[in-house]
Amino acid sequence: MKSQSLMQTYAEKRDNLVRTFAARLRSMSEAEDLIQDLFFKIERLENQEVGENPSALLFQMANHLMLDRLRSQKRAAARDAVWLQGNITSSQGQILADEPSAEAALAARQQLAALIQRVDELPPKVAQAFRLHKLEGRSQAETAEVMSISQSTVEKHISAALKRLIQARN
Amino acid sequence: MKTQPTDIEIAIDWLVRLQRPTVSPADWLAFDTWLSASEHHAQAYDAALTLDLQLACYEPGITQAAPLPSRPMDMSVGKKTWRWPVMGAAVASLLIGASLIWQTQVHIAPEAAYATAIGAHKTVILSDGSHIDLNTASRLTVDFDRTRRQVRMKDAEAYFDVAKDPRRPFIIEAGHSQIQVVGTAFDVKNRDGQLVVYVERGIVDVQPLPSMGSKHYRLRPGQALAYDQRTGLINVSLAENGEASSWRTGRLIYRDQPLSVVVADLNRQFDRPIRLGDAQTGKVRLSGVLIVDTQTAMVKRLSALLPLKSSDKGDGIVLTTR
Repeated sequence: MKSQSLMQTYAEKRDNLVRTFAARLRSMSEAEDLIQDLFFKIERLENQEVGENPSALLFQMANHLMLDRLRSQKRAAARDAVWLQGNITSSQGQILADEPSAEAALAARQQLAALIQRVDELPPKVAQAFRLHKLEGRSQAETAEVMSISQSTVEKHISAALKRLIQARN
Repeated sequence: MKTQPTDIEIAIDWLVRLQRPTVSPADWLAFDTWLSASEHHAQAYDAALTLDLQLACYEPGITQAAPLPSRPMDMSVGKKTWRWPVMGAAVASLLIGASLIWQTQVHIAPEAAYATAIGAHKTVILSDGSHIDLNTASRLTVDFDRTRRQVRMKDAEAYFDVAKDPRRPFIIEAGHSQIQVVGTAFDVKNRDGQLVVYVERGIVDVQPLPSMGSKHYRLRPGQALAYDQRTGLINVSLAENGEASSWRTGRLIYRDQPLSVVVADLNRQFDRPIRLGDAQTGKVRLSGVLIVDTQTAMVKRLSALLPLKSSDKGDGIVLTTR
């Protein structure tokens, strides 16, 4: 198969890849950025043979790109911390410039605050797992450790919490 | 007896599964198959994802702990800016192709930053077909999703030719003010505490202050709204056709404007600063057209139009009244 078909697959799968990596990165703009990078990568692969499952290959390439980014991000994070402390007053606008995307619209924010109040109504374990993982940004593994439960239980709690919240919203 | 899980419940299970530390290509293929099987699946997943992304930015203090910490955006000619214009076009054409061939329903345009250096102009073509002409020393960000098209501008001037899309309003945030359109052409200038919106075509709703609630000024072609952020004065007037966007053809048009405004405009065109010798000089008023070419020629013409003399200091040019 030629990279023509890899490019076609990209065109076909692009939105679904963005959706997938938006969940993994928890940011639409980061996911967009990543999947754009993927575009350049496959553009350079012109005329190269690709395997018979271009969709899986695209996913793997995107996954590698993401891991590369996360690694360099960790290194950059230390620098950013210094930068932020040093420039917080003079560069407020720039910090704001990278605000999480459209989903954070003002009206939505208020609605969300109301929704998060309803976390209290969840069973205590479910609420705790949800707070640790979704609101305090701990990984599933860290959440499992803090609560002394298995990762798959954490997953079940998170699923249950999200289902209740999305119901409450509708 | 357990009932069949709904689409949204399955979508949430997928979302949580995709957030595991590792996701295999097999997971992706299975997810993609489910997602592509029905429009309802995609809608359900998008609803779940939207909730999760909202949660991810629930509180600024909390997002720092998210896997990707936010970082300052590099608006200079840095590594982030150079590739957007190139990529924008490439991806836009690809998306158009995709929608024709595969009837893709989602056009998720990226959030992108565009900036111009002093003396530079730039035309940006967005994925929806809208054009933005950026005047000198301007910066703005573009953020599109399925429900709206959002542009944020701070110190900037731009001419917008917005493609019609009634389902997705085009919203511009300029300082505290908000400008909303459906499809039209207009000029927005947000400089030095002054917002000026001039409408060339179509209808533009301007809300200078957030405290106005849902009230807004509705501008029709030929109308201009000027809002002074310091005095709070709002003035709607009829403007000469094309005057507000004259910068696009390399002209600066002034009607009874103080020299301080003119000098601020010139300093957005050239690196070498022009200063006012004293406060009195800044109050001299200008009516006329300045062609934008070289700094020396412009200063010379300005000195001919107004009772000014210019002196060349090492680090810039100083204007004083004669």
